[in-house]
Amino acid sequence: MMLSLGPIIFGIILGLIIGSQIKLNVSDAKFTLGSFVVILIAGIIVAWQLGPFPFYTDLPISTAFLSALIGIFVGKLLFARSK
Amino acid sequence: MNQGSMILKIISLPISIILICLGVMTILGGHITPGGGFQGGAMIASGIALSVLVYGIGNSPLELSHTYIEVFESIGALGFIILGLIGLFVGGFYLYNGGTDLLNVVPSSIQNVLHYPDVTNAGIIPYLNIFVGLKVFVGLSSIVIAFAGFKKFVEEGE
Repeated sequence: MMLSLGPIIFGIILGLIIGSQIKLNVSDAKFTLGSFVVILIAGIIVAWQLGPFPFYTDLPISTAFLSALIGIFVGKLLFARSK
Repeated sequence: MNQGSMILKIISLPISIILICLGVMTILGGHITPGGGFQGGAMIASGIALSVLVYGIGNSPLELSHTYIEVFESIGALGFIILGLIGLFVGGFYLYNGGTDLLNVVPSSIQNVLHYPDVTNAGIIPYLNIFVGLKVFVGLSSIVIAFAGFKKFVEEGE
């Protein structure tokens, strides 16, 4: 098994860029940080169904998808500001 | 503008986040699979558009600020031009694919980061995909945000 670092690194970078714009206190749908745990579990299932994409010799989950999801959450926790 | 029901509002943000992750995945696999910078950027922008349409322009959880749009549109364009100029200096042609080993100074561990198990070498194509994806994502999102803002402006004026 060869783990490619490229999709993981750039997925986290792109996720940080996009996740820095998520604001949870503006909608009346009442999203909390606990909602993100459910989104993370759903994302892991989607990544597992996608298979080893984009490099076909990797882990049996999509590393680019999962690293983008983790990057979005980390970017939301670190950089996102409320309005 | 803000006419979504509560079910729509609860399900839209998770779907937007999953759409954004699919777009990032399409960008990062663009050099060996169908897809690439434009397609992935359009998928990310569709996530932003879904959020803006459902929650409305004023209170959307995923909404880009003016400075953010300016900065990342410029980074995407400048990165593409700089990679093209590197090709011009290395190979003599604009956007020449000089590979990741520019001028034989890049260590092999960094060169192998976006290589893939095949006989050919993608070179600068993954990095071009990332910059194009950044530019397309911000550009298409700004169009949607501008249209939503115009509609809100017209509705407030009536």
